[in-house]
Amino acid sequence: MGLRGKTWFPILYMFIVTLTLSAILILFGNITRQRVTNNERIAYERAVLRALPVDLPSGAGPAQIHNIFLANITDPDEKSAGAHRYMVEDSLLAYALPFEGAGFWAPIKGVIGISRDRKTITGIAFYEQNETPGLGGEIVKTEFTRQFVGKKLAMTPPYIEFLPATATLDESSVHAITGATQTSNRLGKFMNTILGTWREHMDDPQ
Amino acid sequence: MMPQKSTKDVVLTAVWGDNPVFRQILGICSALAVTNLVLNTLVMGLAVVFTTALSGFTVSLLRKWTPRVIRMMIEVLIIAFYVILFDQTLKAYWPEMSRNLGPYVGLIITNCIIMGRAEAFANANPPLLSFVDGLFSGLGYALVLLAVAVIRELLGMGSLLGIPMPLFSSALWDRWIIMVMPPGAFFTLAIIVWLARTIQVDKDIKKQGGK
Repeated sequence: MGLRGKTWFPILYMFIVTLTLSAILILFGNITRQRVTNNERIAYERAVLRALPVDLPSGAGPAQIHNIFLANITDPDEKSAGAHRYMVEDSLLAYALPFEGAGFWAPIKGVIGISRDRKTITGIAFYEQNETPGLGGEIVKTEFTRQFVGKKLAMTPPYIEFLPATATLDESSVHAITGATQTSNRLGKFMNTILGTWREHMDDPQ
Repeated sequence: MMPQKSTKDVVLTAVWGDNPVFRQILGICSALAVTNLVLNTLVMGLAVVFTTALSGFTVSLLRKWTPRVIRMMIEVLIIAFYVILFDQTLKAYWPEMSRNLGPYVGLIITNCIIMGRAEAFANANPPLLSFVDGLFSGLGYALVLLAVAVIRELLGMGSLLGIPMPLFSSALWDRWIIMVMPPGAFFTLAIIVWLARTIQVDKDIKKQGGK
């Protein structure tokens, strides 16, 4: 009877295999960790810049996006109620308010840009979503996001309203995505809640 | 002990005769979940091919030392190892795709095809043959997924690999929204399984020279 017949052998064998494979994974994780963190950071920065009236060159690489972000965007603070500020030569041009909430399948995370009048939307962009491709996933498409540009936040909730595709729009409404009622409703709901909280803080910083 | 098969037999059995999806009805969860876009399906298929081939090779390499009582734990450990490697590589080098596939890459660990090949083949065959078996079982899975994805993306979105297709992206074609939703996957997969099995049954009857 060799080693395989010993009662302690399966435990030792399992330990050695686990240790070896885990060590390789930890090593690989360490090698790629910085890259993964950077990817997440760049996805967020790209969304912030897309939501703002920033002249972002098409096909801008990660380094370029990061440099433009660092040069023009401030970190969120209490004064801006959690929004980034878009500054050019010390003058405020717009706010970028991050928002997130539960989508149909998974969290939706995005950024909405609001001009310094705190009323006009400059753009919207998403950096994380897992909605159904072709339906809820269409929120990331230009056809949906460009509707927001130039819209005015209403004085009372809903600040921005999602209406069916056949409805006539006013200055505070956009068309929801046909066939993605759940995604549209959820997005509209949490976006309006966050916009409401932000407005409250900005109007009354107490 | 299982008699050793030739490489050609292994390939034909894995891709057609014993195809994991339409013959064994394995891996159906991901076949339904990720097949509404061809590009996502291609990457998912690649992940399964990578995992099935390398886990088969590794399980076979260790088979003479692995105690039988813990062999399934060892197999799951090896499968999880390759899946995490693939997932981490996507996160680092193709973050958009990693976000698109969401949790489904991680869920390959629970894909019965991989465990099935490790148990049924790699445990009793040499490493290289197990690698070939895993590679073609994964390919057999990927090809069926791809067929489902082509039908769903074309009819549901009017495009293939995100490129608008003539007629299907025009005003003449009213997109079948149901095809990009879960029921579309059930219908398409069921039709493919039915067609493949019908062809195989006809072949079997002819081979037996009977009616």
